[in-house]
Amino acid sequence: MQRIILVGKPNSGKSLLFNQLTGLRQKVANFPGVTVELKSGQFDEFELIDFPGTYSLNSLSRDEQIAIEKLNIAVHDEHTSMVVCVLDATRLERSLVFGLQAQRLAEENGKSVVFVLNMIDEVQKHGFEIDVDGLQQALGAPVFALSAKKLIGVAEFKKALPALVKQGKTSHHDIPEAREKVIERARNISKQYGIQADVVLKSQNRIDRFLLHNVLGGVAFLAVMFLLFQSIFTWATPLMDGVEWCITEFAHWLTALIGPGMISDFLNDAVFGGVGAFLVFVPQIMVLTFIIGLLEDSGYLARAALICHKPLSYFGLSGRSFIPYLSGFACAIPGIMAARTIESPRKRLITMMTIPLMSCSARLPVYALLVAVLIPEDATLFGIFDFRGAAFFGLYLFGIIVALIVSLLLNRFTRNQSDEMDMPFILELPSYRVPHWKPLFHRVLNSGKYFIRRAAPVIFIISLCLWVLGYFPQGAGLQGSFLGQIGHIIEPIFEPMGLDWRYGVAIIMSFLAREVFVGALGTLFGMAGADDNIAGLAANIQADGLTLGAGLGLLLFYVVALQCVATVATLRAETGKGSIAWGLMAAYGVLAYIIAVVTFQLVS
Amino acid sequence: MTLWDLQANQIAHVQNFHNALSTTVANRLEEMGFCQGQPIVCLRRSPLKGPLVVQLGDCVYSLEQTIAEQIHLTAA
Ligand SMILES: Nc1nc2c(ncn2[C@@H]2O[C@H](COP(=O)(O)OP(=O)(O)O)[C@@H](O)[C@H]2O)c(=O)[nH]1
Repeated sequence: MQRIILVGKPNSGKSLLFNQLTGLRQKVANFPGVTVELKSGQFDEFELIDFPGTYSLNSLSRDEQIAIEKLNIAVHDEHTSMVVCVLDATRLERSLVFGLQAQRLAEENGKSVVFVLNMIDEVQKHGFEIDVDGLQQALGAPVFALSAKKLIGVAEFKKALPALVKQGKTSHHDIPEAREKVIERARNISKQYGIQADVVLKSQNRIDRFLLHNVLGGVAFLAVMFLLFQSIFTWATPLMDGVEWCITEFAHWLTALIGPGMISDFLNDAVFGGVGAFLVFVPQIMVLTFIIGLLEDSGYLARAALICHKPLSYFGLSGRSFIPYLSGFACAIPGIMAARTIESPRKRLITMMTIPLMSCSARLPVYALLVAVLIPEDATLFGIFDFRGAAFFGLYLFGIIVALIVSLLLNRFTRNQSDEMDMPFILELPSYRVPHWKPLFHRVLNSGKYFIRRAAPVIFIISLCLWVLGYFPQGAGLQGSFLGQIGHIIEPIFEPMGLDWRYGVAIIMSFLAREVFVGALGTLFGMAGADDNIAGLAANIQADGLTLGAGLGLLLFYVVALQCVATVATLRAETGKGSIAWGLMAAYGVLAYIIAVVTFQLVS
Repeated sequence: MTLWDLQANQIAHVQNFHNALSTTVANRLEEMGFCQGQPIVCLRRSPLKGPLVVQLGDCVYSLEQTIAEQIHLTAA
């Protein structure tokens, strides 16, 4: 199959064009440890590959380097027939710097080149016209003026492209090799054919006067973040409940069909209980991806990064670390995925390594249970604040503080060996635009798929192991099972935390997903359905005599410990290094343990 | 003066880069439009020495202090 490659500067509308040209079926290839993502789809009889947007063929970071290497290989490949280069008509000069470099690369490899002059609707809106024929002459390659959004000229482009691909070499122009010459030519061409930059930038600057305003901009920022936070919990909850309901119903139906026995127990507990517990997070991840995609495509994400950059830079983080952190309060996994937008690889790594300290929603049931055990319902703080609410706030805050301290330390620790290639903070502020649903839709779908593909295998294995250990010897119950026996053996480990073996077993089981802690503890306290009766279980634990120090230590343990194999799997995929992921799990485990032990010893 | 000294609404022209700036970053800056003689306008300064916002050619960029200090300007 002949192949067409799509390239262009970031924000040139490349993703949207890709989605307009290809159908619903898309494949996404990720590469471990880097943010490089290649999308491919079918256009006509051709395979269309979307390369990441770049400003230049001269790389600045390792991610860019890999993306450019892949591009070089792809252009060289014999199956590749054409390079389609997307230009932003409102920013002709900047898009041409990369455009000319790409044209040169294609010509060197004997491939044809076609330019797409996108955003032509905005050019028209501002009352300009572009001399497409003249531009075609100047570039020595076909130019299609179109709007991927308003669908102006897209049909014509689709019709003309197949013939051009088959015709072979379309471009014949000697692009200078020297960088300065390329920049100069881009400037000259855009001076002659481009539109006046001021006019386009004026409307964007007007909005920025409000959204970046020292006071109003801050208020707007808080409002947007509040909305994002709310959406994770309020919009995602019905969807999560829906998924849970489906899984439960399906489990009931299937187990009724099979009849009681070991297979049914296995399906119920290991498959539906274990894997199902993690599928519940898929809607939340998708809602979060949707909101972040909305922010990115509208242009606000860059402004948000600008606003947070200074305060976060004190901790060695980037302004772009903020959204990943915020996402981490829902679930660390989309947060770690959102860290891809961070420009500096080092800051990206530090951000990814500290996101698991944000109190994710899987920790909520654990907090709810333990806070209910430790603090009476009507207790108040200074007579005005609800004590339980304040305790929740304190736990979230504790996580954030630990994350910032760890970032600070990691930053100190790695500064010496920081590579020269580290990206400085230079951010283009794109025009504000209304996002289009198509790229967003695929993005949301892909986030769900990516999460399942990354996490499902490891979740399943852990779930299987825990089930075998907890189920056998048959009929002994969780107390008498291998897991219970292991709990008794390792009880000395939990003793300094002031906890007995039952908590140990529940902690081990929560490596599947933290909220499993509640159900497991319920089983060990002889209560079925503890998930839905937190107050009842809390009363049970209180009666059993959990001390304040041990309870508090356990809470702080849950804030810090990285007890989530799905997160570890994602960290491994995104950093490309298993050692970082598992090392982090061990390090946070030890830190959490020390904090818990010290708390218990101090309070008791 | 350097780009970091540019006040809001002030216009200047790009001159050159500080010697300490690595060539890869300098080259990228040129590709982004930071070429000698190009007019540059400061649109906004952020409080607490946060990143500044400039308009250069057909783009609006935000730069932090460490990089803005490496770019020399000639006053218009
Ligand atoms: N007005 C207008 N907006 C567009 C056009 N093409 C894309 N956009 C919008 O520009 C923004 C950036 O586009 P995107 O496809 O994400 O750019 P990419 O970074 O090159 O992939 C999105 O909000 C798009 O909806 C167009 O032809 N006209």
